[in-house]
Amino acid sequence: MKRGRCTGSGDADPPQNGTSDDVMRVRDPEAGASNIDSLPDTNDEVDSAHRRDIRSKYRVLISSIQQNREDMLNNRDNKITEVLDEANTLFKEVHQAREAALDSQLLVVASDLGKEKASQLFSEGLSFDPSTFVQHTLSFMGLNWLEEEGESSDEGAATSHGSLPRNAWHRLARRAEACFQSTPAFHFIYGSFQAEPPPPKPRVERQRKAPTKEAKRIMPTQLKKMEESQQEATEKEVERILGYLQQYHNQDPTSPISYYEFVINPHSFSRTVENIFHTSFLVRDGLARMYMDEDKMPCIGPVEDGMLEEGRASARKQCVISITLQGWRELREDLDIQESMIQPPVTN
Amino acid sequence: MTQRKSSGKRSSTAVGVEEDDSIFTQPTTSQVQKGMEKLTKAQIDEKTTELVQYILMKDQKKIPIKRADIVKNVLKEYKNVFQEIMNRAQQRFEQVFGFKLVEIDAKNHVYILINKLEPVEGSEMISGNPKTGLLFVILSLVYMKGGVVPEGLVWNTLKKMKVDPGERHPEFGDVKKLVTDEFVRQRYLEYTKVPHTEPVKYVFTWGQRAEVEVSKIKILEFLGELHSQDPQHWSQQYKDASSQWSSRAPQPSTSSQR
Repeated sequence: MKRGRCTGSGDADPPQNGTSDDVMRVRDPEAGASNIDSLPDTNDEVDSAHRRDIRSKYRVLISSIQQNREDMLNNRDNKITEVLDEANTLFKEVHQAREAALDSQLLVVASDLGKEKASQLFSEGLSFDPSTFVQHTLSFMGLNWLEEEGESSDEGAATSHGSLPRNAWHRLARRAEACFQSTPAFHFIYGSFQAEPPPPKPRVERQRKAPTKEAKRIMPTQLKKMEESQQEATEKEVERILGYLQQYHNQDPTSPISYYEFVINPHSFSRTVENIFHTSFLVRDGLARMYMDEDKMPCIGPVEDGMLEEGRASARKQCVISITLQGWRELREDLDIQESMIQPPVTN
Repeated sequence: MTQRKSSGKRSSTAVGVEEDDSIFTQPTTSQVQKGMEKLTKAQIDEKTTELVQYILMKDQKKIPIKRADIVKNVLKEYKNVFQEIMNRAQQRFEQVFGFKLVEIDAKNHVYILINKLEPVEGSEMISGNPKTGLLFVILSLVYMKGGVVPEGLVWNTLKKMKVDPGERHPEFGDVKKLVTDEFVRQRYLEYTKVPHTEPVKYVFTWGQRAEVEVSKIKILEFLGELHSQDPQHWSQQYKDASSQWSSRAPQPSTSSQR
């Protein structure tokens, strides 16, 4: 960098330029000597205006390179050389660091551009035109050269007209892939494995919970049913037997009903026992009465309304009736009981 | 940085290592051998298999695999025998799959899988992923224009093919993202800033994966077909393409292997 001569701009204007001037003066000891000559005030103004002018010219040059970058790159003209020539001229008047900084900035920008231009030199001689390339490629991809209405662009008909088929890029890719030595992407045939321990857990829990709840529910209902059935069964049976008793009595009110004929079920010993059991309730509740006939055989009959008052005081007689299998058979034979008077209940 | 390019025994200090690699220092070969002696064959085989599977899975997206990730996710406590396991994995890839495990970035230790076998034209294996077509266009353009191309040229060329980075493409979606992000992450392309530009400008170059995976000769051949020209017509590129993989004669595997 050339050392500029400091013409009277030394001590006179430190407030304007600050440290840059000090730097200049340190580097160029000669400059300090000529400070004394000039008249401070008028030269300051002229000089600073001049320097402002230089700076603005530099900025113009820099922006011209940046704005017209594409043009300077692509065209074969010498625009960039012109810029550099101007910069050289301008530099002759540079004396301060501030302008010099702008000069270096311009150099940097210009040299970047120059580097790009130089790299273009390589491609210049290669005759590869992107537009032609595009045209050929589009044809390969199956472009339909339909004429559409509308302006034809300056770039050529390749761009604005025509439509590509749907598989255009696939078609190109199939051929282009031959240039690639890429591996086929690896995928599991049945998809990737995903561990599934979490879902079964809640399922198992829910299943476990559900049965227990139901089981609990079942228990009470069953119990209720059993109790009911027991109660109902007994009560119903007793009522039923009373019905039979009354029915038989009403058929022939005068003739007594033999007790044993009444209760014995010739087909089933257990039913016989049940019948005895149920009739005992009838007697207990005062709905039936037992008495002995002339032959000293027990008889049973329903209690009629009128009879109640008589028998109340004295009717506290108890007896225990037992029957064995043997006895049941003998009674059955002796009394020649073919059918049971009490029909067995219909079981579900 | 010369310490990094160790020829024989590896140095025990790692200079200028990036990211998580800083915890991983290369053991010497004797240390590796000692480490190997402690392991059973079954353990070694198991780790090799795991590494092979890991790499196959990571390869699905074509994003390069970092050594740090391998050490962290697969090798773990076996990291001192990293090189041995890697070698075995490479052998498996070559012998079983016909693949090559290549270190495309020796500084950052980044690996990719490429196919050893030549693609057979017209075969069913070629799926025709449309992104490959787009990539081909860009790579061809860059290559034929000297290896470096300003992004403006790429966008203009694509626009002529109805692919506009400013619009959503029916096939490619966000084109700009695909080209400047996905292709770059896969290392097919490099998208670098030009210094001192205002507004900021970028250039495209071939990425590290492309250098290793894409055959320049084959590109030229296809271009020749498209232009109905002999590929040798482009003499400079042809010359360059012919010597693309001549340095690959022995094996383009991990450069730190000795």
